[in-house]
Amino acid sequence: MATATAPPTTSRRAHRRRVDPVFYAFLVPTLVLFTLAITLPAVMGIVLSFTNSVGFGTFTFVGLTNYVAVFSDPALLHAYLFTLFFACITTVVVNVIAFLLSIALTAKIRAKVALRSIFVLPMVIAGIVIAYVFSYLFANSLPALAQSVGFGPLEQSILANPHLAWIAIVTVAAWQAIPGALLIYIAGVLSIPGDVYEAASLDGATGWRQVVSITMPLTAGYILINVIISFKGFMNVYDVIVGLTNGGPGTATTSVAMSIFNGFGNGDYAYQMANATIFFLIGVVIALLQMRLNRGKAAF
Amino acid sequence: MQHPARGSVTRRSLLVGIGAAGVGVTLAGCSAGSRGGSSSATTISFYLSKPEVIPYFQKLIAKYHREQDKVRVVMDSSSNVPADFVRNQPPDLGCWNYNFSVAEFVNHGALMDLGRTPQAQSINPDLWPLMKQTADYPGRTSAIPYSVMAASVIYNRDIFAKHEITVPTTWTGLTAACEKLRSAGVTPFFNTYADTWTIAQGPFDYSIGGMLDVPGFFADMKDEGTKVGKGSAVSFEKDFAEPMEHMVELDKYANKDAASRKYGDGNTAFAQGKGAMYMQGPWALSQIALTNPKMSLGTFPLPVTDDPKDLKVRVNVDLALWIPEASSKKEAALDFMAWLMQPRINDTYNDDNDGFGSRRDAPPPSNPTLAGMRKFYSSGAFYLGPSQLIPGSIPVANYAQAMMLGSSPSSQLRTLDNDWARYSIRVS
Repeated sequence: MATATAPPTTSRRAHRRRVDPVFYAFLVPTLVLFTLAITLPAVMGIVLSFTNSVGFGTFTFVGLTNYVAVFSDPALLHAYLFTLFFACITTVVVNVIAFLLSIALTAKIRAKVALRSIFVLPMVIAGIVIAYVFSYLFANSLPALAQSVGFGPLEQSILANPHLAWIAIVTVAAWQAIPGALLIYIAGVLSIPGDVYEAASLDGATGWRQVVSITMPLTAGYILINVIISFKGFMNVYDVIVGLTNGGPGTATTSVAMSIFNGFGNGDYAYQMANATIFFLIGVVIALLQMRLNRGKAAF
Repeated sequence: MQHPARGSVTRRSLLVGIGAAGVGVTLAGCSAGSRGGSSSATTISFYLSKPEVIPYFQKLIAKYHREQDKVRVVMDSSSNVPADFVRNQPPDLGCWNYNFSVAEFVNHGALMDLGRTPQAQSINPDLWPLMKQTADYPGRTSAIPYSVMAASVIYNRDIFAKHEITVPTTWTGLTAACEKLRSAGVTPFFNTYADTWTIAQGPFDYSIGGMLDVPGFFADMKDEGTKVGKGSAVSFEKDFAEPMEHMVELDKYANKDAASRKYGDGNTAFAQGKGAMYMQGPWALSQIALTNPKMSLGTFPLPVTDDPKDLKVRVNVDLALWIPEASSKKEAALDFMAWLMQPRINDTYNDDNDGFGSRRDAPPPSNPTLAGMRKFYSSGAFYLGPSQLIPGSIPVANYAQAMMLGSSPSSQLRTLDNDWARYSIRVS
């Protein structure tokens, strides 16, 4: 115990030197691929964001012009607000539902394995396919249903309502993302040793009390990783919106990723590169913030 | 270590054997590939942007291969062409919908000058202003129009006949026809607002083109540039106000569920007779025919004013041919281009695909549905869709959708003005 908690510095250094070179051999291919496919293009993109490039041909450096333009663009500001709003809501919805489902699916219930498989199904369907199927449901089935029961507010498709379309997008995005979060939560809940619950029930804690006082703290690390993964994913939302509303009605549901991609194919290359750089920095800040807020609670 | 017995296979000999076999197969494959042509054939890549006619062009390419053996054509329709330009590996010959997406390549001189080719000389001179309006590189003919699509209102002849309605040529006549249809329980227009492009290319473009001098307006807007906005001599808010008023007014004659209908729904519904008029281009005809092949249809330009002289049809250069400067096989690309432009190929293509010809001597399409647009096209009474002349990074189709769904046109047009001014700052 003593050697493990306070090893002498010299021995730690010696230990470091003894790293098997084979580990580096494993690292290098990934590092090279990552650098070539992600880091290098990202750096090139950042450089181009200070130019007037249209993506090819000659260009000149224009300083911060593109950045100034981004900050004075109300459409982009709206896209940022909408994306943040969407990411926050959907992260909460996904994690609450997935967590509760994971508790239900690890309890002693019938057909547990079958149910787990059914709940995981949405994960294997492509986002754009899900979006098109749901867009049909929202545009046709839901209004028809509302008409037959005489429920006024839903008789018009919510996809065509600028104030409600986001609900449809959150629903579909959550439906697709819950399985992934669910799998991680199930692993987390199953990793809690049974004797903890035994001791708790001997002390008189039952049901909900056990969930709040035992399951939640002991799966804090899983909650953290799920929240970060979902939030990061939802900030990049693209295919679900393209399939459901294509950014409409009007521009009510245009996400940042959509505006960046739109600029790429339409000669607004450098401008949207500046936008992408800002988006990247915001992502970094959010990730750091989340890690900091959750420091210590993480189990790994 | 025991020496392997003679005749048995060692690991090394196995690998060598596999390698040799592999090389053999590859060589055989190569020779099979080049068997069709002579050994000196040049292979060019050909990019086609119109998915509907890929099988058609596959047949054309096969025909071209049968007629000569100097050039082999490999068709590509899935590459991201802007990305190919970024990588400096564009296709050797492009056959592309000539809209704003091609403007950057043209404006930056990435396409070679085709002005001296005989094909350029054969083009209907009315089309050059349209080409220049979309994109221009001074002193160059960067692309050659191949097929022009003319679009207007498609109408159901049977419904019109049943209610004794003649094709309207004035705004008053149009609204009267709509009232008559509506009181008879027929939906006058079938609209599909869930697909924003159907609004932009339909009601939006038709209302503006039927009232304004589109090229003149956009030339002024370009001059005004960053100053566009409140108080500028020309602006969307000022000049588009009246057309947009008419566009929104027509919404009251549209199907009630237009907000949630998509393009596919529209084609099916119109084919089932659920609307008397449909603001779509000829590309919808084949889709309508899938549901109802025997439908009797006609076309007429949307009247927006009370002067029949203002009637014009909306056109777009559906396909244009161009060769990038970066191509190293320009000779071969020019050869295939010349082959495609021959009247026997070009005219057949246009007739088969409901396109209007781009050459001086091209005959009008024989499809009777398009007959209502012939005289407008041949007299040059056409305009490029305004929605296609606004930079693609400005979501004009979404703004048009917002207007149709009840947002005030003046606020949407003001947004459009601001977007235009900001875009002008970036590109100036």
